[in-house]
Amino acid sequence: MSEKKQQVSRRQFLNYTLTGVGGFMAAGMLAPMLRMAVDPVLQESGHGDLTNVSLAVEDITTDPQRIDWKVKQVDGWYESEVNRSAWVFKDENDEIQAFSPICKHLGCVVSWEGSDEYPDQFYCPCHDGRYYKDGTNVPGTPPLQPLDVYEQEVRDGMLFLGDAVPREGA
Amino acid sequence: MKWKKADVAQYLEAKEYIDTILIPLIPYQMTGDTELEKNAFQNELTSVLANELEKELTGRIMLTPTYNYVKAADREEEVNRIHSWIEEIQQQPFPHIFLLTLDSSWKKHEQALDGTLLWLPGMKSGDLHSAEMHRFIRDQVEQVSELIRSYW
Repeated sequence: MSEKKQQVSRRQFLNYTLTGVGGFMAAGMLAPMLRMAVDPVLQESGHGDLTNVSLAVEDITTDPQRIDWKVKQVDGWYESEVNRSAWVFKDENDEIQAFSPICKHLGCVVSWEGSDEYPDQFYCPCHDGRYYKDGTNVPGTPPLQPLDVYEQEVRDGMLFLGDAVPREGA
Repeated sequence: MKWKKADVAQYLEAKEYIDTILIPLIPYQMTGDTELEKNAFQNELTSVLANELEKELTGRIMLTPTYNYVKAADREEEVNRIHSWIEEIQQQPFPHIFLLTLDSSWKKHEQALDGTLLWLPGMKSGDLHSAEMHRFIRDQVEQVSELIRSYW
């Protein structure tokens, strides 16, 4: 009777407990390592947050229009609202294009048809830099790179824009 | 360009392109309780305008630190002090010098000034962050930058 009750001996009991505790400890140590090894897989894709710029897709025409919006930006210990602008239009393939208005020369703000002499081009008032409608810099003018392009997405018929991404020089 | 390390480094590299100086003139005064708010608001509005102008024409304009003065100060003395700033600035090749202010008292001394005075009638009060103010500032900046461009 008493033998039957003692199915688990003291030695076995201690063995089980130690293995159990040891197992937990090992798991506790290994899990972060494993997590580190597969971290790139778990990370969200590198896109910045996209912001609704309050522009409906159906209002976008083939004529570039300037839109302004605000994003929250944390810079060191300042949290501030930053104004952003873009020139938005539909190109001949009916695709939405959103260009940053910052001139690639020294950073002035370019405007569409900003000069009467150059219709159908983006024009920088500072040093007469020019860009074609697709954002490529006109050779012979000061800028050496095309205008940056915003990351974009259309959700529920509204345009969302993210960060401006530089393009390769022409 | 602003008076910041990164901007100045860029200036040194591209000196021939940056030929314009913008100095904001902002009065300051502690006397008179009734005027305080108005003056402080003027200060904010002038800074915002100057910063926005700088942003619009970054590649050709250098925005200096603000020129502050006591509102009741003798204008002729102040004109001399401004001239010492301008003389110093002209150690570098800056053919265009603009003085931006909302203080109308400078208008009378415009002739004596060695730079182009941009006096704008501002607003006495309001909410700088409201949508109307935003539009107002955008409009002002657009028109003033057009004016500055006409000097280039």
